[in-house]
Amino acid sequence: MTENIHNTQQNIYKPAIMKIVGRHDEAPGVKTMRLEFQDATDHQFFKETFRTGMFGLYGVYGEGESTFCVASPETRKDYIECTFRQSGRVTSALANADIGDLITFRGPYGNRFPIEEFHGKNLLFISGGIALPPTRSVIWSCLDQREKFGKVTIVYGARTVADLVYKHELEEWQERSDVDLVLTVDPGGESPDWKNRIGFVPTVLEEAAPSPDNCIAIICGPPIMIKFTLISLKKLGFDESNVYTTLENRMKCGLGKCGRCNVGSIYVCKEGPVFTAAEVSRMPAADL
Amino acid sequence: MTKILFSDKLDKCVERWKSAGFTVIGPVQRANISTYAAVEHAAELEFGHVLPDRSIKDLFFPQSEPMLRYTIKKESIDTSECLPPSGPRIIFGARPCDASGMAIDDPLFGWDYKDEYWFQRRNESVIVTIACTKSDDFCMCTSLKMSPDSTKGSDILLRPLENNKGWQVEELTGRGREAFKTIADILQESSEQVAPLAIVEKKFDLDACVAWLQNPEHFESRFWKEISMRCIGCASCTYLCPTCHCFDIQDEGDTYTGIRRKNWDSCSFALFTMHTSGHNPRSTQSARWRQRIMHKFNYFPGKFSVNSCSGCGRCSRQCPVDMGITETLQEISKLSQ
Repeated sequence: MTENIHNTQQNIYKPAIMKIVGRHDEAPGVKTMRLEFQDATDHQFFKETFRTGMFGLYGVYGEGESTFCVASPETRKDYIECTFRQSGRVTSALANADIGDLITFRGPYGNRFPIEEFHGKNLLFISGGIALPPTRSVIWSCLDQREKFGKVTIVYGARTVADLVYKHELEEWQERSDVDLVLTVDPGGESPDWKNRIGFVPTVLEEAAPSPDNCIAIICGPPIMIKFTLISLKKLGFDESNVYTTLENRMKCGLGKCGRCNVGSIYVCKEGPVFTAAEVSRMPAADL
Repeated sequence: MTKILFSDKLDKCVERWKSAGFTVIGPVQRANISTYAAVEHAAELEFGHVLPDRSIKDLFFPQSEPMLRYTIKKESIDTSECLPPSGPRIIFGARPCDASGMAIDDPLFGWDYKDEYWFQRRNESVIVTIACTKSDDFCMCTSLKMSPDSTKGSDILLRPLENNKGWQVEELTGRGREAFKTIADILQESSEQVAPLAIVEKKFDLDACVAWLQNPEHFESRFWKEISMRCIGCASCTYLCPTCHCFDIQDEGDTYTGIRRKNWDSCSFALFTMHTSGHNPRSTQSARWRQRIMHKFNYFPGKFSVNSCSGCGRCSRQCPVDMGITETLQEISKLSQ
């Protein structure tokens, strides 16, 4: 699963310059930006290396860099999309940037979801809140070559209806006959016209009871959701080696040098961020 | 008969190296700190310390280093690299532990992605190491399977003669040989006796410690809380350590122009791993001290087949609350008996 990218082109700390070409409010405080490379060589490098699951460092000069996933799929490499919650100095600067503004990007870094290994298999995507972006990259990477995969089920939940991200895409998935979308919000988070499920993701997942036969599960969410979802998946009969997730940790370099993103001996930036549940269970829980 | 560099000829060597284009760097006293800095004359060099307070790491990985300069214009952003000042340097009078510390960090700065700030300085430096004839209670090179005359990371090893008369010269690398060609006529053949090496007592059983650390059951041992109870998280140990390499990246400037810098950071700070959400994987000082020990003796050797510790003992020597790697590994040695 580990495929290390050798970036010998330039100074490893020098970012690419990106132009914001699209900007969308997803949920309160959550924005999606579409970015285009300004330099053809940078774009070529991205096209050659990006695979779904990889991450990048998005930055605004004068403020710094922040780490989040590439939310767009590996099947669409003309641009990069990122979705983030405005919470700190860098994300505030990013949120204040407008269409036409220039920001920076370093990456793509890390390993990936090995989607060729999922060919012919059923896919179960489980995601919570702001963790849909990394899952969405894999979802579109698979839907863009739909014929290669079996049944596709997406279970997505958020605290409230307002907190659901990619609402327009959720509608699209809901209408597709080749995608089974299960949407839920936490009890109390529903709106008067909410027609989908009410309940926490693990509970809703158990009710939907997808079969573990020939199925790969991809889960992404806050640690508490992952913890209980793994228990539910185990109950449903999923093997830990068929369950994939992506970890996040604070990073500064993304290159395996700055020394902070490790969980036990595993560097999330280089050996991750994508791990199977079996790999995560071998990590020291107290370091997660 | 071996080649000898007599102390009274050192100034001539400094002159010769300078005119050959080298910057000559060596141990000096600055205010109350002994450190390494560029010198004009041999008389500025201080060889009396067991080990200078600061290590030679600062010469390869400075505390704060400009990496990029940015200028934001109306329609574009210019980024230019700020590479380290180039030109050959001779670091005269490194200690064996410090020299090996630099070699230990080479694979880290070079795995997959090559950090040119580190390697430019590495490639342009000749490390002339002086073997140790003095040690103190904190020295622990022998516990790390090294010795007061280890050659790892050095280009030249000098063995002190009796009565500070000079040094016996051992050329270790091509780069060292090349630099010493410029002073070939200053060196003298002589059968002077070298002074006895420092005796550094073995303080812990490294293999037993590593085995204990590798046992997953010990990750949540009470030991970590007990041993780190008095740690105040000041980061002195990490900053003075020749092998600690963790850094932060920060911008300095305004919205239009400024510099992106690489600054030393430390695993002993709470903010080091703090997520934006407030979640902190290593939220206690004991978890952070465990990370430091695990990183040096379990994770780092797992990746690069070498411990991330060269036994200089600065962590214990300079710790304001008298704890350090030695004390921790001594306790682990006891636990693993």
